Amino acid sequence: MKQKYAVRDLVLIALFAALTAIMAYIAVPMPAGLPPITGQTFAVMLAGLLLGANKGAMSQIIYILLGVVGLPVFAGGTSGLSILVGRSGGFLIGFVLGAFLIGKLTENKREPSLRALSFAALLGGVIVVYIPGILQMAMVLGIPLETAAGFMLPFLPGDFIKVAVSSLLAQRILLALPGKCRPSVN
Amino acid sequence: MNMFKSITIGQYLPGESLLHRLDPRAKFIALILFIGTVFMLQSLFGYLLLGIVLLGLLKISQLPLRYFFRGLKPVFYITLFTIIVHFFMTKGGAIILRLGPLTVESAGVYLGIFMALRIIFLVVCTSILTLTTSPLALADGLEFLMRPLAKIGVPSHEIAMMMTIALRFIPTLMEESEKITKAQLARGADLESGNIFRRAKSLVPLLVPLFVSAFRRADDLAVAMEARCYRGGEGRTRLRELQATALDYSAVLLSVLLLIAVAWSQV
Repeated sequence: MKQKYAVRDLVLIALFAALTAIMAYIAVPMPAGLPPITGQTFAVMLAGLLLGANKGAMSQIIYILLGVVGLPVFAGGTSGLSILVGRSGGFLIGFVLGAFLIGKLTENKREPSLRALSFAALLGGVIVVYIPGILQMAMVLGIPLETAAGFMLPFLPGDFIKVAVSSLLAQRILLALPGKCRPSVN
Repeated sequence: MNMFKSITIGQYLPGESLLHRLDPRAKFIALILFIGTVFMLQSLFGYLLLGIVLLGLLKISQLPLRYFFRGLKPVFYITLFTIIVHFFMTKGGAIILRLGPLTVESAGVYLGIFMALRIIFLVVCTSILTLTTSPLALADGLEFLMRPLAKIGVPSHEIAMMMTIALRFIPTLMEESEKITKAQLARGADLESGNIFRRAKSLVPLLVPLFVSAFRRADDLAVAMEARCYRGGEGRTRLRELQATALDYSAVLLSVLLLIAVAWSQV
């Protein structure tokens, strides 16, 4: 059997799984009683933007598995299968889908524009993450979809900031890496 | 910046108990069976039985109870929230309490308590697993259990390898980000004042060096692995081979029996 991942890709995927785990601990306080910005979706956006679709999604799968085997890497230092099947587990599924979509939209571009990057980050890192998240939350808690969606509204301002910072950062990093070295180029 | 101090790698507590010595694969399968059992729970008998079994396991595991329950704190609020939502939102049965326009009805109370118990059971059985098994052993066990999936194209060895590497990266990256934060603070970076835009912007001088050094580290590691002729799972030998004993088989068998007992009691 031929090896599925080059060693370098293997390491990069692991690296982004580790970064997502660390980002879950970073919280920037927001004004006016809004919930703090946490870094997870930020890491999702960067994984998609920098690694491309397959590797980005894989990095999020590894992140979830790390949490499932009991490392306290989910938001608030939680872990375990119970989080994945619990109230906010849908968002974790959304991370995988989101990173994949972001990667699909931006990979293999020679000079991605900031506009394209931030559009992908918004679509994949916010909307695609929220859909399964809200569905599962409504299902697990047995509440209507609108109520579950309402819980997420206060997070939106923070998400927009994450979209802006991640696409800026990704553009800088991508432009700094010559085409062949970019993990997002297949 | 002491936000990283509170993370210990894994919650694993080394020990010599029966549960510590079980094969990680057996514990994994048992956990999956337990989770199946929790989702089937409907009768009072089932809740009581599973509750007693979990308390028994906790006793066998010889985990310090204070440490164990401190780990459950994050779930406490979720549980409380579930109870409150069900108390006020689920209708049916006799009215128990009236608070202005809100009523608490008996169906809501039952459902709230049972749902909360389910969450608690799920967390207790997963925590018992992760507290008695080291993350590396878990990754090994996971690789073995995913092996059948390799036939449909799931790279089980690669997944376990990446988990191990990620595990190795987490403390390094944490140290790195702490170092970078201190370095930028020493240069007069202001991370904690100003409006939200300024604060978001002040993260950039932290993130750019963090990513640059992370990419460099990844490259170093890849070169080091290639230099040692890493070539994937095919034909690789291990330092620690997993070995299942009669004890492991009986643990799995007992979990199957528990599942059947709970399922049968509800027919």
